[in-house]
Amino acid sequence: MIGFKNIKSVLIIGAAGGLAEITASLLIKEHPEVRITGIDPRPIPHPIRHENIEYLKMRFTRTKFEKLFREKQFDLVLHLARMSHADSSTHGKMEKRLDANVIGTKRILDLCLKYEVKKVIILSTYHVYGALNDNPTFITEDFPLRASIRYPELRDVVEMDQLCTNWMWKNQSDIETLVLRPCAIIGPQIQNTMTRYLTTPYAPLPADFNPMFQYIHEFDMAKILIDCIAKVPTGLYNIAPDEAISVREARNFMGLPSIPIPMAILYGAAKIISSPLWRFPDYLLDYLKYSCIIDNNEIKKHIGNSAFRFSIHESLELLKLE
Amino acid sequence: MLSLLKNFGLNAPKEKFDEVFEYLTQYYPRGEDPWGLNVKKARKSLEVIWPLYHNYFKVRVFGKENVQDQPYMVVPNHTGQIAIDGMLVSTAFALDVQPPRILRGMVERFFTTLPFIGMWAAEGGAVLGDRQNCHQLLKRGQSILAFPEGVRGVAKSTSDFYQTQSFTKGFFRLSAEAGVDVLPVAVVGAEEFYPYVYQAKTLANFFNLPALPLSLNYLPLPSPVDIYIGKPYKIASGIGADSPDDIINREVKNIESIIQEMINEGLANRRHFFANKEFE
Repeated sequence: MIGFKNIKSVLIIGAAGGLAEITASLLIKEHPEVRITGIDPRPIPHPIRHENIEYLKMRFTRTKFEKLFREKQFDLVLHLARMSHADSSTHGKMEKRLDANVIGTKRILDLCLKYEVKKVIILSTYHVYGALNDNPTFITEDFPLRASIRYPELRDVVEMDQLCTNWMWKNQSDIETLVLRPCAIIGPQIQNTMTRYLTTPYAPLPADFNPMFQYIHEFDMAKILIDCIAKVPTGLYNIAPDEAISVREARNFMGLPSIPIPMAILYGAAKIISSPLWRFPDYLLDYLKYSCIIDNNEIKKHIGNSAFRFSIHESLELLKLE
Repeated sequence: MLSLLKNFGLNAPKEKFDEVFEYLTQYYPRGEDPWGLNVKKARKSLEVIWPLYHNYFKVRVFGKENVQDQPYMVVPNHTGQIAIDGMLVSTAFALDVQPPRILRGMVERFFTTLPFIGMWAAEGGAVLGDRQNCHQLLKRGQSILAFPEGVRGVAKSTSDFYQTQSFTKGFFRLSAEAGVDVLPVAVVGAEEFYPYVYQAKTLANFFNLPALPLSLNYLPLPSPVDIYIGKPYKIASGIGADSPDDIINREVKNIESIIQEMINEGLANRRHFFANKEFE
């Protein structure tokens, strides 16, 4: 397995995201000798000022992206650029997401192989398993990916994951590849659907269902990404704490008022309403109905228990402080 | 609801509930578990169920001494058209058995899709009847409540009352895999909740329903219920989850016979109820 002594140049794709920002700062703190290149088509909100960190505003499907690989000779690529559904209107942007998440990822992986990158870590999501009524609790990595069974809008999530895992096994003798499927990452710097849901006052709360959730704090997730570089071999890994909390308890803990609404009404309302107060794509509503709890035994074999420093309540507490 | 019950003098005994839930709160320090159990909600549910359990169905529990501080695969006969028997057995194991425990009742898939009811059941300890769930729960020291007769057991016509229907084998393989004893349980009295029933099987198939009972009453009658907890059935050494079918079938048949025997003994010692004679 690759060690930090072999890593001189790192590419972080999706550097404008909150998780990428924390990961970059942790990485440079622990390994100041490593050169980090962060790219994102979006402006970087809080660039880290360090001589070994460089930010470039670019799309990773353009020709100059390949030039970057040629010139920088990356040893490690962190692909944190999966386009989330947080900013999607109910059904919009699907084409854009498929392009970024599937075609874009394929291009990144091919470049990694062509330019002899030693390790690539891809951030997928627990959403790939889908929120279905017959989900067992503690879904393992070999469980079928059923997210798009009911909602074709989730095709990009599943296809990206499958593309990465197929590619990973096909090229395992040439490049170390990790596909991570984290539970809901929450934290003040993460602007995903779940963080937004937990911090929005008067958000609807299912009155007739109360699914369980696993939350991981953004700092823990960033630390695990760093741990994965030197400690975790090629493979697929769920990332989640042992515990879980019901959505109702989580909302109560956050101390924000909620509006209890039966799911049947919520489905109808979400199709029509998209307000600045509550943006939640209707095809993700099943995640507020049925649990999707993932098993973490595989990752713990390599990084142990101590990687999860914050309990779910502590993670929520930290989110509340913001 | 609880205050309404209190007004009628049907409130749950506070001391008993405090004692049980002090123990259970220590057992589940987070108050919830990943399957959706919520200890506070479970208490509230049991407080509502208590008058039914204690005053309406007048449940008696025999064989409490057979239960030790260890996980079990609790396997009762299934009777009474709707799963009230599961609720009563769960209440017995929470309130009348030492140490108290919240049985993890295995429910059908469709149950988890039911608004409010699915949530209420999960918060009270029910889980989707899935092999992986069962395995994980037993590994964590939880006791499982499984009805190996399934719908065939609960949805019987009057002529089949108190005859166990053939058991499915999954519960035994899971017990063998986890090395957990099977605890046979007989429920006597629940068939008389609906004493005159005809199962319209053809009609049920036509409407794609699991069962369609045609009954004289659709509210359960207050038939007194006796719950008999048998001696733990230990899985013999050498028998595992992957043992051949004939061995597993033999073991399951043994358990089925034990439960049938317990039912027969229970029928001989039951309390008087106007609908009893028809079925003795």
